[in-house]
Formats: sequence, C-alpha cells, structure tokens
Amino acid sequence: MTTIGAMFGDVFKSLFKKPVTEKYPFERKPDPERLRGKLFWNAEKCTGCQMCVRDCPANALELIVIDRASKKFVMKYHAERCTFCNQCVFSCKFGCLNLSHEDWELASLLQEPMTISYGRDEDIQFLLEKAAQPDNPETEKECN
Amino acid sequence: MSISLPPLVSMLVFPAGIFLMMLGLAYEFVDRKLVARYQNRIGPRWFQPLADMIKLLAKEEIIPTGVNKGLFIFLPILGVTAALTSALYIPMLGFAPAFSFRGDLVVVIYLLSVMTICLGLAGANTVDRFSLIGATRTLTQLFSYEAPFLLALLTPALAAGSWQISEINTYAHGNLWMILTQPIGFLVALIALMGKLELPPFDAPEAETEIVSGALTEYSGRGLALFRLGKDVELVIGLTLIAAFYLGGLANPLDFILKTLGLLLVVALLQSLFARLRIDQTVGMWWRVGALLALVQLLIIVIARLL
Amino acid sequence: MQESQEKFIVPIGPQHPALKEPGHFEFTVDGENVTSATIRLGFVHRGIEKLAESRSYIQNLYMFERVCGICSHVHSTAFASGVEKLAGVTVSPRVKAIRTLFLELERIQSHLLWLGVAAHEGGFDTLFMYSWRDRETVMDIHESISGNRVHHSVNLIGGVKFDITPEQIEKTLKGLDYLEERTKYYEKIVTTDETFLGRTRNVGKMTKEQAETLSAVGPTARASGVKRDVRVESPYVSYPEYPVNMVLDDGGDLSARFVVRIKELYECYRICREILKNLPEGELSVRVPRRIPAGEVTSRVEAPRGELFYFIKSNGGETPERVKVRTPSLCNWSTISSVAVGHKLADMPMLLVGIDPCFSCNDRLVTVRQANTSQTMYWEDLRKYGVEYYK
Repeated sequence: MTTIGAMFGDVFKSLFKKPVTEKYPFERKPDPERLRGKLFWNAEKCTGCQMCVRDCPANALELIVIDRASKKFVMKYHAERCTFCNQCVFSCKFGCLNLSHEDWELASLLQEPMTISYGRDEDIQFLLEKAAQPDNPETEKECN
Repeated sequence: MSISLPPLVSMLVFPAGIFLMMLGLAYEFVDRKLVARYQNRIGPRWFQPLADMIKLLAKEEIIPTGVNKGLFIFLPILGVTAALTSALYIPMLGFAPAFSFRGDLVVVIYLLSVMTICLGLAGANTVDRFSLIGATRTLTQLFSYEAPFLLALLTPALAAGSWQISEINTYAHGNLWMILTQPIGFLVALIALMGKLELPPFDAPEAETEIVSGALTEYSGRGLALFRLGKDVELVIGLTLIAAFYLGGLANPLDFILKTLGLLLVVALLQSLFARLRIDQTVGMWWRVGALLALVQLLIIVIARLL
Repeated sequence: MQESQEKFIVPIGPQHPALKEPGHFEFTVDGENVTSATIRLGFVHRGIEKLAESRSYIQNLYMFERVCGICSHVHSTAFASGVEKLAGVTVSPRVKAIRTLFLELERIQSHLLWLGVAAHEGGFDTLFMYSWRDRETVMDIHESISGNRVHHSVNLIGGVKFDITPEQIEKTLKGLDYLEERTKYYEKIVTTDETFLGRTRNVGKMTKEQAETLSAVGPTARASGVKRDVRVESPYVSYPEYPVNMVLDDGGDLSARFVVRIKELYECYRICREILKNLPEGELSVRVPRRIPAGEVTSRVEAPRGELFYFIKSNGGETPERVKVRTPSLCNWSTISSVAVGHKLADMPMLLVGIDPCFSCNDRLVTVRQANTSQTMYWEDLRKYGVEYYK
C-alpha cells in the first residue's frame, strides 16, 4: 500500500521542535573522556627508549637527547603531522604519554604553534641557548 | 484600497521595481527558513538572499565561447523585466492594481511564462551538454503544467464573470472564499505554481545531482543574479494571484501578508515532503491527473453557471 | 555536429555535484535514454600499496585504516588479523568480541550514511537530513568508546587498545534502541512513499544470473538473490559465536537494495546487543614480535559494501614485502555499465549510488589503454613512463 507524502507526520512536527543543530562555538557538548586530543609528555618517567618515535606512523615525535645518563630529554611534537592514533601511548611501557580529552581545538594560522617542545624547563632553556649560538658545530648536530 | 502614483514611480518603486525585488528576497528567505525548519535544522538568517544577490553582482560575469553574446546578456534582463511588469496588474500589498484593463489576466499569465521561456532559451544558447538537457526539460515542463495552471486561474474568472484581475479580486472579497467552493481548482493552481517555479518535487530542470544546474549552469555574476531575482519575483506574484482568487481577495496590507505567508507555509511543506519526479513522470502526471482535474473543475463551474 | 546528433555524450565527470568523490562516467544519450556507458577511475590513486613497503607493520596498521573513512575499521581488522596469522599469534575472545562490535557499529554508520546520500541523489533532501541526524547517535557512541568518530584506531597488532565499561554498554544499548525505532520508520518510508518508489522501482534491475556473471558482491548481490556473505561463508573474528542471518531479496532493482540494507541494519542491532550482553573474558593484547616470520596470508572480511580481501606477503623483516588490497566497490562497477543501457539519464545518479561506491577504496592498479591493446604497468614501468613523459 503506497502513500503520497509518507513523511508528513514527522515533517510537520519538526516545525514545532527545536532544530538539532549545535551552535558551536556558543554551545558545546561535553567532551567524551576518551576523546583523542593533543599529546602530552611527562619528562619524569621517560627512559629514552624511543619506541614511540619508531612506532609513530606520521613521524610526529622527535626525541632530542641532551644527556642520556641523567635522563635529560626534550620531546618535540609536531601537531600538524599527528594523526591522533594513540599508538605512541601504547608503545610506551612507562606511561609517559597521553592524549588529552580537553585540548582538541588545535587550529592555527601559522606553523609555529604546531611544533611543541616538551621537557623540563632547564632542558628547554639549554636547547634555546644552544640554538642561539649559530656557529657552534655541536648545535647543528643536535637541533635537526 | 487604492493609491494612485505617477506611472514612472509605479514602474520603478512600487508596486514593481525596487519594492517588488525586496519583497521577493524576503519571501525567498521565508521559504528557505521554513524548508529548513521542516528538515529540523536552523536555516539562513534574514539577510541571506540579499547577501547572495550582492555577492553575485560583485562577481565577474564569464561569457563562455560559442554562445551568442547578445542573447546571453539580454535574456536574463528580459526575463526579469517580464516578471516585474506583470506586477503592475495584480493587487500588490492589497492596494488596487496600478493599471487595469479588461483581459489583463491573460497578459499576466503570458508575462509569467516569458520568464520560463527565457530560461529555456538561455539554456539552449550554449554548447554545454548540461544546459541543453536542462533547457529541454524546462520547456517540456512548460508544456505540461501551463494548461492546468491557466484553467485553474480561469475558473475563478468564470465565477466572477470577468477577465480583469481587479474585478475578480473585488468579487472574491465580497463572496464566500473560493477555496471552499472550488477546492480542486485551488489544489491544481498551487501545485502548478510549484511546477512553474521549479520547486521540488518538480525541479527536474534544475536537478543538482544530475545536470549540475540545468539551464543556469553557464551563468555567473549578473546573469545568474537576475535569473534568481526573476524566480523570487515570480514566487511573490504567483502567491498573490492565488491568494487573491482563492482566499477571498486582498483588501489591505495585513490581509496580503497573512494570506500569502499562509500559502507559503503550505508550499514549503509540499517542497519537503516528496522526492524529485523524473521529467517523464512529471509530464505523465500533469497530462493524466492535472489536466483532468482542471477540466473537471471547469465543467463544474460551467454547469453551475448554467443552472 | 551532424552525425553526433544521436551520439550526445553527457560526462558525469571528475567534478560533479552528484559524486562526492571523483570518477569519470560517460553516458551516451539519445534524448533522455542512455545507450551506452563507460567508466574510468583512478583519480584518487594515492600509492598506498607502494608506501606500505617502506613502513613497519605497526605504522602500516594506521595507514591501511585510512584507505577509506567510512569502512576504516574493517581495513584495520583485516590487516591486523592477517599479520597475527603470519606471526602465529591468537588473540583472546574478548579482543575478537570487541572487534566484532566495532565492525557492526561501523556497518550501521555506513548504511545510514548511504541511505542519506541515496535519498539526496533522488532529490529527497528531507530523508537525507533526517537519516544523517540519526546517524549522529551512532557517531556519538563511537566517540565515547573509541575516541574518534571515524578512524577509530581500535586495533593493535595483537589486540585492542581499550575495554568497554558498563556505563558505555548502557549508553550504547539506549542508542541502539533509538536507532531501531527510527530504522523502522525509514523502512516504512522507503517501501511506501509513492514518489520515492517512482525513482527506485525497476531501476537497475539485475537478475540473479547477471549478478553472478558480473561478479557483484555485498548488498548489491544479495538484493538479486545471490548468496554471498563472507560472515556466513567463512566466519572470522567472533562471527562463529554470534552467527549472522543473510538478508536476501529477489527484487534485483534499486528498491530491493534499499530494503536489503535496511534489513541488514536490524541484524546489526541484534548482533551488537548480543555481544554487549555477553562480553567474554580475556586479555586485551598479546605481545607480537616486531619481525614477522616470512610467509603469505590472505584475510577476507565483509565490509559494509561487500567482500574485502588483503594479501600480505612477508619476508621476515620489519616491513612487509607486498600488501595487496582488493576492495568491494571495484567489483561492483561492471554491473553499472551493462545495466545502464535502456534507462533514462535521470536514473544514472541513483544507479551509481545504488552500488554504494567508495572511490577512495578503489584505485589500485593502473591500466593504460592505447587503441585496442591494454597494458598492465608495474611500478618500474610506471616510473620510467613518468620520467619519459615529463622530459
């Protein structure tokens, strides 16, 4: 038995219902807990095994070794290459990495905010000072 | 109610001209907003059609090779002009028509079809396959709904005993609403209006998923803006005619707004309910069902008058 | 222009509002009747099979997931199962159940997406908006369990990444109840709305023999009565414990394909509920060595569009030697070029969307046609050809 206008009931009632569109960014739904957002690295637990760097499908992680014996590392994270796949979190046996579920609005107009360096403050300071001396041959070896 | 304005003002400002164009844009907004609400989404804001027009006018008009340049530029202008001119004979906003003479119903219907013919010719004027198919479909559709549309507007004229729109308007105002005495005619007129304006489900000539944009594929910039404006103006004029004939005449602006917006509510509902009909299904439906219904209505009126 | 009065070719070309992805179709029309059709693909060739040879197995898992956005988990499961077979590792029943759950959830999402797109091609925008609104429910379920709406990245080589908590089970069951009610409504519309039936009835009619000769797979074949379903013929992951009833229809036309896909949705809801109510125990992942032993393996799975198979060849190292992907949409194209003749031009978009084409899955091999000879090119030939061409 065929009818003309089978959707009539639903369509007519929609005139009196609120539209389902979410007016982002003024209205936001709460983030699910398992949402895969920006990567965060905890420098205290890292042993420098570089499993995460090896397993990343997009080459988004880079570990810069400052001093292997005393475990001073700086992790460079290229957010524009990251596919948020979560593999690095599972490759790390010490739980240094996690993908945040609150920090996921990562759009930017320039490239600089996309390259994030994680580490202890003194280690990053050390790297910045190294980079500021351009004719030091060791700097070229470290910062590429 | 009637106001008298010098002819130049009535052509350029009210009721044709700038006022009608703005009213057309406003009705397009209401139509799009209603369709969006029926589909459970938000829809555009009030200035969207105006912004579209301004954007299109600011864009470059690209004239493809292989077309007749004069025709390409002239046809949109002709279409819009015909649509705007027809507004001089209808009771716009409830006031008496600016010009009125015996037989102006036929002139108005003719002017409304000029727009569709211009669309068909504009599509035939290119080398592009999509436009050719769109033009063929437009003209095929013109042949199918034109006769029922005319008949459906004719039956109130018969009941009123005159071919002059202002007299039919007065007759409708004074008597029982013709939607109750001639329901079949009302239905045919409303659906034929949707066919004329190429609204879904009769938008085969402009089917986005099959032939890009039909006859309008090659148009951009000013030509496209004028064609779209012409369609909006036709929407207003069509709704006014049907409201004036079937919904008890238009006596004042408030009456006009309420009745035409009520009709627009129904038109938007019909737009969202159906899938698109293929062109052969459209023709089949009109020549089997539409024309028959209109003829039946005509017969009823003729018999009623003879009795 | 004189003799081409009858040979009027309409290109539904690489850029067209009907196609969401590029592909080139040429229909020769006579008025509105189509007299012949040719298909040309290859616009989205990304060289994935070549790239796979220089990445490790773990990196490849994510790359193969991105062959297609809608059927991403199927690709990832096929690859992971294949590699696990090569490595001689068996995964626990809980892992298999979670993988199956996601496979069925993805099938729900894909069929609802297809319903909307097919309605849009037929000019029925209201159905499109409503079915995509309801699809958001299943996307929310995906996001709350796995963390992303598409590209769920559920699999690891050797297991899955996470578990399902009781609250998520509750939420998913509620979502499934809502979806089942809406699916009943869509079934009613698709089978009884007169204007929609006018677009789908007797369009693209394919008899059972034609479907078998043209090697149709998936719901397209099942709508013509051909009994082909990898989940029933050679069950993988958890399908032996949660058997699937094959959904068949003998209409063979477009409306039969709609009915088959909607009925498959009911099957998906039933299987998801069964899995959620009895999740077996087991550990979440097993250790798989980085060097996979040498060998060859094929893994066949049932994607929402049909039969998908992977051929993985390993030579004992950390990167695969060859991976070959044969996607279902590739098989279904030949059904269009034979069936299109005799239909109207307005039916063409509906016919194209009736096989549920997924262009990104398609482009693998490059065949070059020169006059009447056709030549298959391998990688070295392609490189040489490219270098010569641009000299």
